[in-house]
Amino acid sequence: MFRTILVANRGEIAVRIIRTCRDMGIRTVALYDDTDLSSLHVRLAHACVRLSSGALYYDAAALVQIARDCGADAIHPGYGFLAEHDEFARACEEAGIVFIGPSSAALARVRDKIAVLETVHAADIAVPRHSPRAYRASEWEALRDAAERLGYPLVLKSYSGGRSHGTRLVREPTQLESMAQHAHSSALTAFGDDRLYLEEAFLPARYLEVQLVGDRHGNLVHLGERDGSIQHNHHKVVEESPVPYLTDSQRQDLWRQALAIGRLLGCAGACTIEFVLDAQGRFYFTEVKARIQVEHPITEMRTGIDLVRIQIQVAAGEPLGFSQDDVALRGCAIQARVNAEDPWNHYLPSPGCLRRFRFPGGPGVRVDTYAYSGCDVPVRYDPLLAKVVAWDETRAGALGRLRRAIADFAISGVQTNLPLLQRILDAPEFAAGTYDSDFNRRPLPGAEVPPEQLRDLAIAAALAYIRRGIDSSGVLPDRAGSGWHRDSRKLPQ
Amino acid sequence: MSKLSITIDGRTFVVETPPLRRTTSEIVARVDGQTVRALTPATVSPELLDWLIVDGRPYELVVDPNLRWIRSRFGLHQIEVRDLEATVARPASGDGRIKAPIPGLITRVLVSPGETVELGQPLLVLEAMKMENEIRAPRTGRVAQVHVAPGQSVALGVVLAEVE
Repeated sequence: MFRTILVANRGEIAVRIIRTCRDMGIRTVALYDDTDLSSLHVRLAHACVRLSSGALYYDAAALVQIARDCGADAIHPGYGFLAEHDEFARACEEAGIVFIGPSSAALARVRDKIAVLETVHAADIAVPRHSPRAYRASEWEALRDAAERLGYPLVLKSYSGGRSHGTRLVREPTQLESMAQHAHSSALTAFGDDRLYLEEAFLPARYLEVQLVGDRHGNLVHLGERDGSIQHNHHKVVEESPVPYLTDSQRQDLWRQALAIGRLLGCAGACTIEFVLDAQGRFYFTEVKARIQVEHPITEMRTGIDLVRIQIQVAAGEPLGFSQDDVALRGCAIQARVNAEDPWNHYLPSPGCLRRFRFPGGPGVRVDTYAYSGCDVPVRYDPLLAKVVAWDETRAGALGRLRRAIADFAISGVQTNLPLLQRILDAPEFAAGTYDSDFNRRPLPGAEVPPEQLRDLAIAAALAYIRRGIDSSGVLPDRAGSGWHRDSRKLPQ
Repeated sequence: MSKLSITIDGRTFVVETPPLRRTTSEIVARVDGQTVRALTPATVSPELLDWLIVDGRPYELVVDPNLRWIRSRFGLHQIEVRDLEATVARPASGDGRIKAPIPGLITRVLVSPGETVELGQPLLVLEAMKMENEIRAPRTGRVAQVHVAPGQSVALGVVLAEVE
């Protein structure tokens, strides 16, 4: 087993990886830059190293050098950043450091998303119709011609990245040019590669995925499926397992197809096979994610399996140690992503210092986060602040626990999407489990507040208004006596 | 006693409260003429109000520093506070200056001075937290000035453009 693992990531996933390493008795080295020094991942590791180059967590050469310098025998890339970069995996291999994930050759294969679609299609598994290649921003005419041939609606997807940056749904030909420009530019921002490819869109659709784990000795098992249809701007917001709207035969079929694709592509470690389900109930394979996923905790809650531990064991060459029959998929788990953003103001990100960060607990509730009261939410990185996961034997039980947990999560200092999550979880369509990708196009009314409580909250507003007046006047006596306090009176409140 | 008109989620209440004390204490307020007892936290907290107990009903609260909303366990509530005893009207907001709502990097400028813009039309793209954010026109009008260029980093509150 490894002695030291360099965690080549930040935020909640770095915290998550460090926790498993500590459970396994493995030393960890964390990374930070000047803006996320206060994140919890830095504090929980055995050692930490400051990133000094401009490319920070994306700087493959610097990370390999840091791993060498700190004596790490393995690197865990988490998700995003360099998690799916075959060149980074190759640089690790060449430096004699184990990359916890697929081999560089396997990553190079799955990174070519169009080739993967074709390989899977050749094995008689349905895939969406798609463009024959990817296009750079300078190849507008070729992209437009490909769109004409494919027809509308269609999806623009980033060729080299996941995490939905660069993904755009194009409903009409007139939208194509401006959406392609936006998608090229946001793919470039997120991945340093502006190439896009096109896929036929299913409207409405449901986005499903199957978690696989495999070893390098030929064992491959599935750990059930997840839904990720509730999205904003193609970023998943709420995920759950099992998928509530599938029939048993659909579910069996989905698992079987995922395992077939996993074998075809030689998946090892933790791997996710993504599908889209159309309105007629047909599955289409879309992508494979050869890394840990943001929504992995819902699978862990149902199976009791630590997916990060499996990744580490498999990377160290150990066998999986269990078979499909040993996997028990128990109860229901739902995850909500808490983002530092303002849903009522164009989803503008909201960085800043967290004043109050009091997170929920209780039976069946898990919170994965890097944050705490006093921690800074950096402006440079994505707005994911915390993941709240609830589990129970029944879906109604899990939903009740998640509603309670989200209502109890008190965060001040930055804006968050917590009120939006409350509205999603309160929506009758979500409770019924019949939702699809059109869910985010429908209005989400807030909960009805009992009249007595509304009146109490009006008192709260009045007291806050008065207190604001006290606080600004209360500052003055401390400043009295120094010469410049006269000017301080003119400062805005 | 202060006399305030509070509109919350579309309902308006007239709230009269005594001056607050600095320690955790009970106050007696009047809402639409009815007497209500409330326990209020000490003012040592940097937050406006992080909890409140009214007639035995406890609330954990997050209050917007600009008093546009309150969050309770029910969700987000839009609020509007009017001081019924204030003699000076508050200055009107929305003078057409567009300020950076977050620190970040200007990646694109979509309009030039002199151009006519519609309410909500994207003017600039500001990159922050790995996301591209469109900064939109706060009103219909003419772009008077654009103060930034692509590639420029901006701090919070910097005036980016003006629409008149």
